[in-house]
Amino acid sequence: MTVVVLRVLVVVAVLAGWEIAGRLANPLLYVPPSAAVPALRDLLALRSYPDFPEHLLLTLREIAVAYGLAIAAGVGCGAALGLNRLVGRAYGPILAALYAVPAVVWYPSLMLFFGLDAASKIAFGFLLGFFPITLAVLAGIRQVNPQLITVARAFGASRLTVFRKVMLPAMLFTLVGGLRTGLALAVIGVIVGEVLGSKAGLGSLINHAYGLFRTADYVALVLVTLALIVACDALASALERRAQRWTHVQ
Amino acid sequence: MTRRVRLIQAASVGVLLLLWEAVARAGWVDPLFVPAPSAVAGAFARVGGPALGGLGDTLAKTAVAYVLSVVLGVGGGVLLGSLPRVRAAVNPLVVALYGMPKILVLPWIVLLLGFGTTPAIVYGTIHGLFPILVLVTGAVRDVDRQLVTVARAFGARRWQLYRTVVLPAIVPTVLAGMRLGIVFCLLGVLIVEMFAGVRGMGHVMSSLANGFQAPELFAATALVSVASIVIVLSLDAVNDRLSHWRGDAR
Repeated sequence: MTVVVLRVLVVVAVLAGWEIAGRLANPLLYVPPSAAVPALRDLLALRSYPDFPEHLLLTLREIAVAYGLAIAAGVGCGAALGLNRLVGRAYGPILAALYAVPAVVWYPSLMLFFGLDAASKIAFGFLLGFFPITLAVLAGIRQVNPQLITVARAFGASRLTVFRKVMLPAMLFTLVGGLRTGLALAVIGVIVGEVLGSKAGLGSLINHAYGLFRTADYVALVLVTLALIVACDALASALERRAQRWTHVQ
Repeated sequence: MTRRVRLIQAASVGVLLLLWEAVARAGWVDPLFVPAPSAVAGAFARVGGPALGGLGDTLAKTAVAYVLSVVLGVGGGVLLGSLPRVRAAVNPLVVALYGMPKILVLPWIVLLLGFGTTPAIVYGTIHGLFPILVLVTGAVRDVDRQLVTVARAFGARRWQLYRTVVLPAIVPTVLAGMRLGIVFCLLGVLIVEMFAGVRGMGHVMSSLANGFQAPELFAATALVSVASIVIVLSLDAVNDRLSHWRGDAR
C-alpha cells in the first residue's frame, strides 16, 4: 500500500516539477502538462493535423509489413541455423558479429537504396526485428532436449509430430519472447526511420512539429506514438501469456 | 570441424562478394544504388580521410558518453539497489524510461541543446545509461543476504561491506552492462549525428547518402561496422579474461 502511495507521489512530483519548470521557462522548449493536454485534444480532434489518421495508418501498415517479413525471415534463418550444426557454427558467429553493430549504421544505405518512402522504413524495421527473432529461434531449438526427439522418433513419430509435440512446446517460451522483442524493435525501427527522413507517417509529423517549433503538438504526437508502442507491447505480452498457458497444458 | 567452419565462412563471404560483383557488372542492379565491391574498395581511398576523421570524432563522443553512462549507471544502480524504499518508488519510472524509445525525445534534445557535440553526448548517455542502471540495481538488490549478514556479524562497517561483499558480487553484472552499454552509446551518438550533426561519422554517412555517393557510403558503413565489431569483441575478450581471473567456471 505504502509502495503504491510512494509511486503515485513520485509521478505527481515529476508532473508538478515539469509543470513549474515549463511555466517558468521558454514555452518553445518546455511544454507543461497543462499545455500538452489541449494539444493532445487538438491532435485527436484533427484540428492541428487534419491528415493525422492517414499518417497513423501508414505507420501501422509499415510496422505490420516489417514485422511480418521479420518473422518469416527470422524463423526461416533461425531454423536453418539451429537444425543444421555445420550451418549454425559457420553462420551463427557472423550473425552475432553483425548484431553487435549499431543498426542505425545501415539506415543511410537503406534510404539510398529504397528511397524516402515507406520501403526504407519497412526495410529498417525488418532489419531490427529480424535479429532477435532469428536468435530466439536458434536458442529455442538448441534448448530442446535431443533425447526427447530421439525417443519420439523411436516410437515412430513423424517429423511433423516431433516438431509439434516435442520441439514447439520446449522452445515456445524462448520463441515467443523473441517475437515480442522483435515486434518492439520493428516498431522502433519504423519510427526511427520516419524521424530520420520521410514524407509521411507519425515520425514525419513529429519532425514537422519540431521543425516549426510547434512544441506542444510535438509533445502530443510523442504521447500518441508512446500509446501506440505500449499498445503493441501489450498485445505481444498477451500473446506471450497465452503461449505460456498452452505450454503448460501440453 | 573448426577448420571446416572457417573454410565455409571464408568461402561464403568470398562467393557473396563475387556474386555481388558479377551482378553489379552485369548491370542487373543500378550501380548508382548498389555499387560493385571493387567500386567500394576504390572508394575507401577517396573517402578514407574524412571518414576516419568522422569516425574519430564519433568515437571520442561515444567515449565521453560511455564513461558518463557507466559512472551514472553503476552509481545510480548501487544507490537504488541499496535503498529498498527509494527503489520501490522510483523503479517503475526507471523501467518505463528504459523501455521508452529514445528517438521520441531526440527532437526535444536537439531543440534544447542545439546542433553539435553536446546533444550527441547527452543522447548517447541516455541510451547507454539505462541498461546499466537497471542491471546494476537488480544485482545489488540480489546480493546474497547471507554474505551481508555474516559480514555484519563480523562487525564490518558500511564501507567495508560495500568494498568486500557488494562490489565484488556485482562485477559480472557491471561488465555485462558495460558490454551492452557501449553499443547503445554508439547508436545514440550516430543517430544524433544523422539527425542533427555537423560532424562525425553519422553526419558523413547521411551526407554521402544525400549526395547519392553509394560507393563512398558503403565504404564508410563498412568502416563503422568494423570499428564497432572490434570494440565489442575486445570488450568480450576483456570480459573473458576477468572471469577467468575471478575463477568462474565457463
